[in-house]
Amino acid sequence: MASIIAVKKLDKHFKVRKFHRGRFSGFQNFFTREHHLVRAVDGVNFEIQSGELIGYLGPNGAGKSTTLKMLTGLLVPTGGEINVDGFVPSKQRKEYVSRIGAVFGQRSTLWWDLPVFESFELLRHIYKIPEKLFKKNLDEFRELLELDTFINTPVRSLSLGQRMRADICAALLHDPKILFLDEPTIGLDVVAKERIRQFIQHINQDRGTTVILTTHDLSDVEKLCNRILIIDEGKLLYDGQLEQLRQKFGGKRQLVVDFFENYPEATIEGAEIVEINGARITFEFERDSIAASDLIGRLSSKYRIRDLEVKEPEIEETIRRIYEQQLLK
Amino acid sequence: MRLFIEIAMRAFRLQMSYRAAAIAGLLTNFFFGILRAVVLIALYDGREEMLGLSLQAAITYTAITQAVIGYLSAFSWYDVANTVYSGEIGSDLLKPINFYSYWMARDFGRAMAALLTRGLPIMVAYEIFIDISFPNFLLNWGLLILTVLLSWVVSFSWRFIVNLPSFWIPNAFGIGRFFFMAALFFSGFLMPLRFFPDWVVKLAYLTPFPHTVNTVVEIYLGVLSPVEIWLAFAWQVGWIVALILVGQWILKLGLRRLVILGG
Ligand SMILES: Nc1ncnc2c1ncn2[C@@H]1O[C@H](COP(=O)(O)OP(=O)(O)OP(=O)(O)O)[C@@H](O)[C@H]1O
Ligand SMILES: [Mg+2]
Repeated sequence: MASIIAVKKLDKHFKVRKFHRGRFSGFQNFFTREHHLVRAVDGVNFEIQSGELIGYLGPNGAGKSTTLKMLTGLLVPTGGEINVDGFVPSKQRKEYVSRIGAVFGQRSTLWWDLPVFESFELLRHIYKIPEKLFKKNLDEFRELLELDTFINTPVRSLSLGQRMRADICAALLHDPKILFLDEPTIGLDVVAKERIRQFIQHINQDRGTTVILTTHDLSDVEKLCNRILIIDEGKLLYDGQLEQLRQKFGGKRQLVVDFFENYPEATIEGAEIVEINGARITFEFERDSIAASDLIGRLSSKYRIRDLEVKEPEIEETIRRIYEQQLLK
Repeated sequence: MRLFIEIAMRAFRLQMSYRAAAIAGLLTNFFFGILRAVVLIALYDGREEMLGLSLQAAITYTAITQAVIGYLSAFSWYDVANTVYSGEIGSDLLKPINFYSYWMARDFGRAMAALLTRGLPIMVAYEIFIDISFPNFLLNWGLLILTVLLSWVVSFSWRFIVNLPSFWIPNAFGIGRFFFMAALFFSGFLMPLRFFPDWVVKLAYLTPFPHTVNTVVEIYLGVLSPVEIWLAFAWQVGWIVALILVGQWILKLGLRRLVILGG
C-alpha cells in the first residue's frame, strides 16, 4: 500500500544570531552579524501508512514541533522532500490545509475573543463544510468531548483542558484524513488526559484518520501508539514498536514476592534483592539471563510464597535512560 | 464573498463588544476635536474665509477628521505584525483561506464598528454643540458614502503593507511609526492640505495618503467640481489596485521565509 506521508532527507536549519557578551558587546553586536546554524531537523526519513497512529517522541528541543510545522505547511523545509497525500505542504497551502487537521497544544487555533460555537460556525464557512456533515460531527464531538458546558464561552476564558477539547473538536469538524497533534495533553489533569486519549483513539479507529502526535507523557504513547518515532537533536533515532524498544533497552525486570514468613536471607541465583519490607522482598533480574518462571520455580522450592508479581520496567524510565545515556546513537 | 461577510460580521460584533474602549476613544476624539476647532477659530481671527475655506467648513473639517480616526486606524494598526510576533499567524495559515482577504474582512468589520460607535456620535455631537455643515443633496450623500468606503480600502491596503516587515525583522514597529506619522501629515489630517505650501501638496500627492482623509473632507464639503470628483475617485481606485497588488506580492515573498515562532 502506498504511504500517506513520505518524508525524505528532511532538513530544517535555523540561522541564529550570535550575541557577544562583555565590555564592548553592544558595539560588537552593532557591527557584526555572526550567525550559527541550528539543525532543528537533520536528514529525517520516514513513511506513514494510512490509518496509523504514530507517537513522535524526543526530549525538549529535539525538533518535534519543527517537523510538525513542516508537515502542516507552516514552515518551508531547508532541504529534502515531504509528500502528504499527494501534496507538497508548503507549496499548495490552501488546498492542502483543507484536508488536514492540526492542533498545536501550546496555542489555540480558535479565535480568542469569539465564543467556542461562533468559532466552529466560522470554520464551517471557511472549510465549506456541508450543513449536514457539520451537524453530525458537532453532535458527536460535543458528546464525546463534553463541550456543552462551555460552548458559548469565549475561548479566552476557557480553562486549559476545555480549550484543548474545543481545539481538537475544531480540527476535526471538516473530516480531515490526517490529524497532527503537537502535545495535545500538555498541562492537563489525569481525567482530561484520559478523555482526550479515548477520543483520539476513537477517531483513529472509527474514522480511519491517520494521527501523528507528539507528547512528553509516555502513557499517551503506551495507550495509543503502536509505532513510535524518536528524534533527538534533529536526527531520527528510532522507528518501530514501543514493545521492542522496551525489550531492548528496558533494563531489569522486577519480581515482588510476599512470603508467608520473614526470610531475611532469601537469596536466589540469577536475581538481586533490591528491597526488603517485612515479608515482602523485591528482586531484580535481567530479562536475557533468566526467565521469570524459572526464578519463581527456584524460589517456591525453597520458600513458602503467598503472592507474587512480575513488574516490567516503566516505559517512562526506559525512555529517560535512552535520552540520558543516548543509547540509540 | 459569503466568507468575507461572515468574517467581517464577527469582527464587527467583536469590535462592538468593546464598549468601554469605544466610549474612551469617543471622548478623546471629541475632546481633541473641540480643541482643534478652537485653535482654528483663533486662527481665522474673525475672518469669514481663508484660502477658499469658510470657518464653518474648517470646523466641519475637524469634525470629519476626528470622526474617521477609529475608522481608518489613523494612529496605529499592527494587528498583522502582532500575530507574526505572537505566532498566532500559524493558526490562520492552517486554515484554507486567502490570508489577504481574511485580514481585509477582519479590518472591514472593525472599521464599520468604529464608524458606528465613534464616527457617527462625533458628527452628531459636533452638530449639537458647534453646528457643522452637511452635504445638501442626495447625490452628494451617495458620493460621500462611496469615497468613505474607498478611503478605507486605500487605508487598509497601505496599513497591511506596513505590517509586512514583521515577516523579516524582529521589530517592525519603527518602520510602522514612520509611515503612520507621514500619513498624519500627508493625508491632511493635521491641517487641510490646501493650507500647506504648494510643494508639500505635490509631495503629498506622490503618496496614497491624501486619498484617504483629504479626499473625504473635500467631497464632504463640496469644494470639488464634478470633474475633480471623478478624478478623485479614479485616484482612489488606482491606488487601491496598486497597493493591493504590491501588498499581495510582498506577502507572498514573506510567507516563503516566514518562521512560525513557538512550540
Ligand atoms: N524559529 C527558530 N529560530 C531558531 N531556532 C529555532 C527556531 N525554532 C526552533 N528552533 C530550534 O530548533 C530546535 C528544535 O525545536 P523544536 O521546537 O522543534 O523542539 P521540540 O522537539 O518541539 O521541543 P519541545 O519538546 O521542547 O517542544 C531547538 O533547538 C530550537 O531552539
Ligand atoms: Mg515542541
